[in-house]
Amino acid sequence: MRGNAAAVQERYLKLKAGADARVKALYSEPVIRVGTATCGIAAGALPVKEAFARAVEEKGLPAKVIEVGCMGHCYAEPLAIISRPGFPSLCYGYLDAELAARLVEDFLINDDPCYEFALVALEPNDVFPTFSDFPRGVYEQKIVLEHCGFIDPGDIDHYIARGGYGALAAALGKNPAEVLEAVKASHLRGRGGAGFPAGLKWEAAVKAGSGEKYVICNADEGDPGAFMDRGILESCPHQVIEGMLLCAYAVGAEKGYFYIRAEYPLAVERVRRALEQAREKGLLGKDILGSDFSCELEIFQGSGAFVCGEATALVRSMEGKMGIPATRPPRLAEAGYRGRPTVLNNVKTFAYVPPILNRGVEWFRSIGTEDNPGTAVFSLVGKVAHTGLVEVPMGTTLRQLIYDVGEGLANGKAFKAVQIGGPSGGCLPESALDIPIDFDSLQEAGAIMGSGGLVVLDEDDCMVAIARYFLEFTQQESCGKCTFCRLGTKHMLDILTRITEGRGEPQDLEILEELAEEVRAGSLCNLGATAPNPVLTTLRYFRDEYEAHIFEKRCPALMCKELIVYYIEPQRCSKLCNVCVGSCPVEAIYTREDGLKAIDQEKCVKCDNCLKTCPPDYNAVIKLSPPGLLAEKEGKRP
Amino acid sequence: MRKGVVFLPLLQGEEELIRKSVDKALRKHEATRENLIPILLQVQEALGYLPGLAMEQIAAALKMPAVEVYGLATFYNQFRLHPPGKHQVKVCMGTACYMVGGRIALECFERRLGIKEGETTPDREFSLERVACVGCCTMAPVVVVDEHVEGKVTPTRVDGILLSFGKAIASGAEAAGKKGEGAS
Amino acid sequence: MSKAVTIFIDGREISAFEGEKLLWVALRNGIYIPNLCAIRGKKRPSGSCRLCYVQVEGRSEPVTSCTLPVKEGLSVQTRSPRVDRLVRSAFELLLSHHRLDCRSCAKRKSCELLKLAKERGLKMRLSRLAPLEHEWPVDDSAETFVFDRSRCVLCGRCVWICREVARVGALGFSRRGIRRVVTTFQDVSMAQSRCTECGLCVEACPSGALYFKEGKQPAAAGQNLSRGG
Repeated sequence: MRGNAAAVQERYLKLKAGADARVKALYSEPVIRVGTATCGIAAGALPVKEAFARAVEEKGLPAKVIEVGCMGHCYAEPLAIISRPGFPSLCYGYLDAELAARLVEDFLINDDPCYEFALVALEPNDVFPTFSDFPRGVYEQKIVLEHCGFIDPGDIDHYIARGGYGALAAALGKNPAEVLEAVKASHLRGRGGAGFPAGLKWEAAVKAGSGEKYVICNADEGDPGAFMDRGILESCPHQVIEGMLLCAYAVGAEKGYFYIRAEYPLAVERVRRALEQAREKGLLGKDILGSDFSCELEIFQGSGAFVCGEATALVRSMEGKMGIPATRPPRLAEAGYRGRPTVLNNVKTFAYVPPILNRGVEWFRSIGTEDNPGTAVFSLVGKVAHTGLVEVPMGTTLRQLIYDVGEGLANGKAFKAVQIGGPSGGCLPESALDIPIDFDSLQEAGAIMGSGGLVVLDEDDCMVAIARYFLEFTQQESCGKCTFCRLGTKHMLDILTRITEGRGEPQDLEILEELAEEVRAGSLCNLGATAPNPVLTTLRYFRDEYEAHIFEKRCPALMCKELIVYYIEPQRCSKLCNVCVGSCPVEAIYTREDGLKAIDQEKCVKCDNCLKTCPPDYNAVIKLSPPGLLAEKEGKRP
Repeated sequence: MRKGVVFLPLLQGEEELIRKSVDKALRKHEATRENLIPILLQVQEALGYLPGLAMEQIAAALKMPAVEVYGLATFYNQFRLHPPGKHQVKVCMGTACYMVGGRIALECFERRLGIKEGETTPDREFSLERVACVGCCTMAPVVVVDEHVEGKVTPTRVDGILLSFGKAIASGAEAAGKKGEGAS
Repeated sequence: MSKAVTIFIDGREISAFEGEKLLWVALRNGIYIPNLCAIRGKKRPSGSCRLCYVQVEGRSEPVTSCTLPVKEGLSVQTRSPRVDRLVRSAFELLLSHHRLDCRSCAKRKSCELLKLAKERGLKMRLSRLAPLEHEWPVDDSAETFVFDRSRCVLCGRCVWICREVARVGALGFSRRGIRRVVTTFQDVSMAQSRCTECGLCVEACPSGALYFKEGKQPAAAGQNLSRGG
């Protein structure tokens, strides 16, 4: 027990009072919060923010325009929340500069909140529905994403005013063993993919003895289709910092690192700023909050190698070497960074720690399932209507996640599969939709939780092409060290390429399955060992598609270029329209003598442009597979 | 004897520039193995790429074989060994982007610029590469042009992007011949 | 020093020191376990060739013996159906990226791939895989030896010995994935590199990737440092 518990608490309460006063003063006037995480910026949030600021200035209003992170409703970006005393805070989506200016005028001057443009209200009220009135709100429960999109990630007071760093202040008054005990008792499983209990990892580092130790936050989120960690670091970096400090305190480390991939410049910038502010407030560095606990956190920028998500490879790259996985033993908890005991956890894992300590182990364990307490954070993308960052209790079914939270498939297409866990995960079919989301159930079905990428696929997606895509990814990202991963995945990729190009042989499936099993069993690290998963699951659930490619040279989803041709249906085409001709980048479309359009197959590069641009009234461009169908069609030309 | 990477001769005055950037990076970071990646990143930021001379100087300062620095520079995606184009086009090949036409966008750029991925146009105006997920999956397909994220990049949008940089849009066959015309 | 323990390899009782890696114990006792990347002087085993699998009693999946520390009572089998399958597969994978032209290979007398094939009854040809392409031309620029990357199995012995024993640092790994290769700084030829032609790497090479030109083998050669003491 540290002797100065009361002094630490007092110092924290002073910080909290200051933050409360500043935030309260801010919200005494209207506040416009614009979501400016990378996704928001990509959707045009910065011009929207400027439009708000300009309108506020032109009208001479006392309103403030601030930047916040990502609320998770990415489908409706750019988003903004307008709070005005006397009204519920309202969230508006699909914004542009014009609408922004109008909202300032109508809402802030003329008292009309323009409910027709509002998506949701933040607080319960009599006029407009809140999150809990939508299916998504019913299923969602936010722990890690609690503050994301609501607070300014660039202003530490916004986090402190919501109780931030309270868990750290309280912990500093306790024995480090109590913090470790709480994390162990919470059964928190690491959110990096494999679900190893965080408490046990920390305990191993404690048992490794005293002396220099390190805490590393793995933010090398490299799964294609996953952006949870980016969202969290850009939206609420302080919660992760607090979690790392708590871990450092529990295991006796005085130094920690954020390993952030270089593809996330905004995340790096926001974490850097957050670290500076924490240091200024005495929450980071020497004698934190006046206690005798000191801890310094730094950023290490990854330089682009997916394999660095693997713990030993990550540590090697921090040591200035190639990010190549090392053999174990020893484990990182015994000999990690600089040969010292090291705790390495994912961004989300650290973010769970402050809420667990604040609200208690019992509370955390009441969420989710017995063996998988807490929530699962997913980036829900692909052919789903409402894409975004979602957080649901463990045990929620995939069906609830896709159809209730994600509002089903986009564009009225039929569901085909859901890809979970990125290149290490698998594709699950319709029949697997009722399995609960947790580490163990997903693994049983052939997928993995991974770090939480969830891509919904529809009838237009070819499962062989998907498997090939993921294998190509792992192949390119393989470090090349071990035989199975370097060469095994290469041969698997070559076979899949042959199949998607219509050159598949009957024995290919057998060889593919053999190799998959051998690469799984023989690889040095988990990148290689899990690389065959996308192939194994698609073979298990969608074997018919492989067979169609091999035996009929047909791509059922009409996706594999070599197995399709584009064709303009003369009976649907209009003489009056020339859109496709203009859209073709290679002048493959010509006007026939009768005025209708046709495609010169020799020139066609299958770019899909004509199909996309043909007006919906005609929908005359279609794809055919196998290409042999073309002769049949052309034979019937009127 | 080389395969793949083509090392261009240094321009006049470039040697001095390299020496200055390396010195600057070594002043900021202590010359230890642990700082190798930060040093390389800083030098690359200053020069746009990692010239052989810079790698040799850094290796000497860190008292390690230059071939190990070279190994590192060829291992990580972030490092480039050749000068980049004035405008860098990076096409995202994340799952979401791939599924909705990332490859189509990449092919459009290839056609319009007359180069393949990983290459730079002969006039050094544009370089084109594919990147792993940039984390903007809901905007797919995504292209990053000079750090600016462009969402929902259809073939028409590709032309729009290039036009905004003053690139004359010709049909595929002509594009290669008209390189650099009207470039900003 | 570590304490002495008794272990069992293929039922044979063997004494060893606790913590030693099983591969070295087996080789010392004349029990063959396939291996290419193992280097005795290296602190942490590379574990890259994936050939030294053994079956440990009580474990379902085979483990690599170069990373397996021995302890009292450890019992392993060097062969099992699962071990054999992994070794066969790893071997074929390596062969698929190795120029299979043994008759013209200068190292055919000492080739460790040939030895492995003989010991385990494996064929020096591909049964189910297509051969992969080779990108690199043969480098015969050095005076005394030739570097033919199309026969390289990426075991890393040459890189280690060049750096740690010869203290030259001419060779290193570069690139990654299928393009991973042993090369020089900026891929210059051996003659242009800082190579001193000490010949240690040539002796360390288990395959025909590095071999002496005829009559150029140094007189002092003969002891293989990466494998010895």
